Amino acid sequence: MSRKAVGIAGRRLALSNLEKDLYPSHGFTKAHILDYYQRVARFILPHLKDRALTFKRYPEGVDKDFFFEKRCPSHRPSWVPTAEVGRDDAEKMTVCLVNDLETLIWTQNLASVELHVPLARAGSPETPDSMVFDLDPGHPADILDCTRVALILRDLLSELRLASCVKTSGKKGLHVYVPLNREETTFEDTKKFSKAVAVIMQKNYPELVTAKMAKEFRKARVFINWSQNDSSKTMVCIYSLRAREKPVVSFPLSWKELENSAGAGDPERLQVMPAEAISRAEKQGDLFQELLTKKQRLPYL
Amino acid sequence: MAGKAIWKGFINFGDVNLPVKLHTAIREERIQFHLLHRRDRVKLRQQMICAYEDEPVPVEAQVKGFEVEDGKYVIVDPAELEQADPESSRLVEVHEFVKTGQIDTIFLERVYCLEPDINIKGYNTLVRALKEMDVAGICTWAMRKRSYLGALQASGKILRLTTLRHADEVIAAKSLELEKIPLSEKELKIGAELINQLTVPFQPHKFENEHQKKLQMLIDKKARGEKVAVLRPRQLKPTASDKLLQALEASLKRVA
Amino acid sequence: MTEQGIWNGTISFSLVAIPVHLVKAVDSGRVSFRMLHGKDYSPLHRRMFCPKEEKAVPNDEIIRGYEIAPDKYILITDEELASVSPERSRTIEIIEFIDMKEVDPIYFDHPYYLIPSKGGEKAYRLLTEVMRRTNKAGIAKFVLGEREYLVAVYSTRGTLALITLHYSEEILPDEDISPKEDLVDAGEKNRLEINIRKMMADFNPEKYTDRRRKKIMDILRKKIKQTAPVETPHAEGEEAEGPADLLAALKESMLKVKKNR
Repeated sequence: MSRKAVGIAGRRLALSNLEKDLYPSHGFTKAHILDYYQRVARFILPHLKDRALTFKRYPEGVDKDFFFEKRCPSHRPSWVPTAEVGRDDAEKMTVCLVNDLETLIWTQNLASVELHVPLARAGSPETPDSMVFDLDPGHPADILDCTRVALILRDLLSELRLASCVKTSGKKGLHVYVPLNREETTFEDTKKFSKAVAVIMQKNYPELVTAKMAKEFRKARVFINWSQNDSSKTMVCIYSLRAREKPVVSFPLSWKELENSAGAGDPERLQVMPAEAISRAEKQGDLFQELLTKKQRLPYL
Repeated sequence: MAGKAIWKGFINFGDVNLPVKLHTAIREERIQFHLLHRRDRVKLRQQMICAYEDEPVPVEAQVKGFEVEDGKYVIVDPAELEQADPESSRLVEVHEFVKTGQIDTIFLERVYCLEPDINIKGYNTLVRALKEMDVAGICTWAMRKRSYLGALQASGKILRLTTLRHADEVIAAKSLELEKIPLSEKELKIGAELINQLTVPFQPHKFENEHQKKLQMLIDKKARGEKVAVLRPRQLKPTASDKLLQALEASLKRVA
Repeated sequence: MTEQGIWNGTISFSLVAIPVHLVKAVDSGRVSFRMLHGKDYSPLHRRMFCPKEEKAVPNDEIIRGYEIAPDKYILITDEELASVSPERSRTIEIIEFIDMKEVDPIYFDHPYYLIPSKGGEKAYRLLTEVMRRTNKAGIAKFVLGEREYLVAVYSTRGTLALITLHYSEEILPDEDISPKEDLVDAGEKNRLEINIRKMMADFNPEKYTDRRRKKIMDILRKKIKQTAPVETPHAEGEEAEGPADLLAALKESMLKVKKNR
C-alpha cells in the first residue's frame, strides 16, 4: 500500500492508497483524482468556502458502497476548518468547511469523490445565496431535453429581470442557478418562487416538463426539482467529480454553448471530463463567478 | 456536602468485590436566563417544528430517522435501539491497571466520588494500595442504560471514578501537524525564563467567578431602572514575529 | 458563530499577544438521528416557540431575559452581556503559570485546542515549545457567551490545549462520604497489590471501543440492508401555487417567452 507524505501550505498530510483504481473501468486512480482537485482548486474553492461539506466517500471505488456522512470525522487534522451547525437532535454537529487546498486534498485522501454542499453558508444556514432548479430527465428524456427546458427557464427568468447560469450535473441532468446573495432571502422565498416557476413551466410545456416528484409523472419528461431549495438539502458542487462509470465533472456551460448543443443531438458532448475541465476552466475562467457575487432580489414575493 | 448517592455498585477484579455508592463531585451554579419574544416578553420554549408545514409537531407524531443519503431516512423504532442498551448490572469491572501518569488529561470526562458501603476496611485497603502504587484501574460499568469507561483512582482517603472518553471521541493532537517554525535558542531561553518568573503554586481558591458577580450587579442595576454603559471588547494587536524577541525581553524586564 | 472554530481572539502572556482560534478537542461519538414528522417524514427543526402566538419565533425576535419575579423579566442584550467583562471576551490573558501536576484532575472540565491564526504562528510556536520545556501550564480567564471560564493552557504534542477548570466553589466537599475510620488490612493489602501487579498494562484507550455505538451501527446497517429508506416529501403542486402577484407576472412573462421563441 502506497503512502506518501506531502506538505501543503506548511501542513503535512499522509496520502494513502494512491494507486487505488477508484473508477475501475477507466483506470482513473486516487492519484488522478488528487491531481484533478489540486489543479481545479482555485476554481472550486470559492464555491465550497464556508459551506458544510457532505461526505460521500467511495473508498472501494465508485462502483462500490459509499459512506454518507455530514459530520466531520473526529480523526480530522485540527487545521481542517469546521463549523458548528444546529442539528435537530438537540446537539450541535461539527461539519467541515473546505476553505483551503489542504482541506480539499484531505477530503480526497478520504475518497470523498463527490463534494456536496448546501445553498447556504454555515454561518447563515437559513439564508440561501442562490436559488436552484435541478433539471432531472426521466427516461427516455435526456440531457438534450434538459437543455431545452434550461433555455426556456433562462428566458422566463430574464423576463423577470433575473440573471441565471447553468452547469451540467455530471450525471444526466442540468442545474440552473439564480444568484441572490442577499441577507434577506429565506428558503421559504426560494422554495415558493421556484415552485411557482416549475408549475408554470409544467402548465405551458406539459409534454416536456413536470414539477411533480412522483415517478409516474417523470417518464419521458424533465422533472424540475424545485424542492432542492431547502436548508437540509445539498447540491453537488460545481467542478466536483461525479461517481459514475466515467469520471465526469459538474461543469459550467455558457448559454451560447447550450443554445448550440440544444439541436446537436449528441448528449455525450455535454459531458466534461477532468482534463477538458481543467483546460477549459483555465482558458475561460470561472463561468460561475457571478453566482457568488451578483445580488438579485426575487420579485413579487 | 457531597451530592446524594446516584448509584450503587460493586468494584470487581480478581476476587475483590467491594460495595460502593456513587456521588457527583461537581455542582455548577449559573445565572439562568430565559429566551423571550421581544415584542411582548412571552417566555419561549423549544418545540419541534415541521419544516414543510411550519407548525409544531407533538412528541407522539415524531419518528426517529437515520439519514442514509440526502433526504433519505431509515425509520428506527426506539425499541430496536434498546437492543444496544447494556445489560443491567451492578459491577464496576476493572480490566487492568495503568500508571496514573499515562492517562492523558484529554480523556478525563467527569469525576464521581465513591462512598464506602458496609466494608470500610476493604475500601481503605484499596485506597491505600492504589495510592502507594500510583495506579488507576481501567474499568467499565453500566449505569442508567449507558455503558461507561472509567478510571478508578485514590484521592486522599477516598476512591474516585472518572469517566473516560472513548478513543474515537478524542481528536488527536498529533494529527494537527502544525507548521514547524524555527526558533532561536535566545528566544526560547528568554521565553522559558519569563515563564519561570511568572510561575506560582496552583491555588484554585483564589479564583472567583467575578463575571457571575458582575453580571448579577448589572441585572440588579437594570432592575432598579438605572442605565448601564455598553463597553466594547478590545482586540489586542498581535506581536509581529520579528518583534517577538523584543517583546520577550521587555516582558522579562518588567517582571524581573 | 465565528467563521472558524468556536471562538476567535488573542492569547497573551506579559507583553506577547498571539492571535488564535479555539477548536474542539473532543467530539461526541454518538450516532446522530433526525426527528421526522411521522405522517409524511418531513424533517423537523428545533425552534424557539411562542406558546401565546403558537408559532416559531425567528432569531431576531428573541431576547434574553432574567426573571426577577414570576413572569417579570429584565432584558439583557448581547452588547450588555459582552460589556460585563469586555477585556476578557476577546483575550485569554495568562496571568500566571503553574505546574500542571499540581492540579487535582477534579478541576478539569472540557478540553479544546488552540490553533494559531494568521500572523500568530511564530509566537504560538514559541509559547508551545517553551511550555513544553518548562513543563508549565498557563492560568487564564476568559468569557465565552454567558460564562466566564477559568482555564489552563498547556502544551501537548506540539499544540496548545486549553482545558476549562471548575471553580473551587463548584467542587463538592467529600468529607461527609469519607470513611469514618482508617483501618487497613495489611494482609489484604498485600494480596491486592499482587493482584494489581498481575493486571498492570499500558493505557491504551483504543482497546475499549464504544460498544453501544458499535451495536447501534450494527443494528442500523442490518436495517439499511433490509428496508427501503423513506424520502422526505416534496409537497406537490396541487395546493397553493404561490403569491397571486408572482403567478400573474409569471403568466405574463411566459406569454412573452413563448412569443419570442
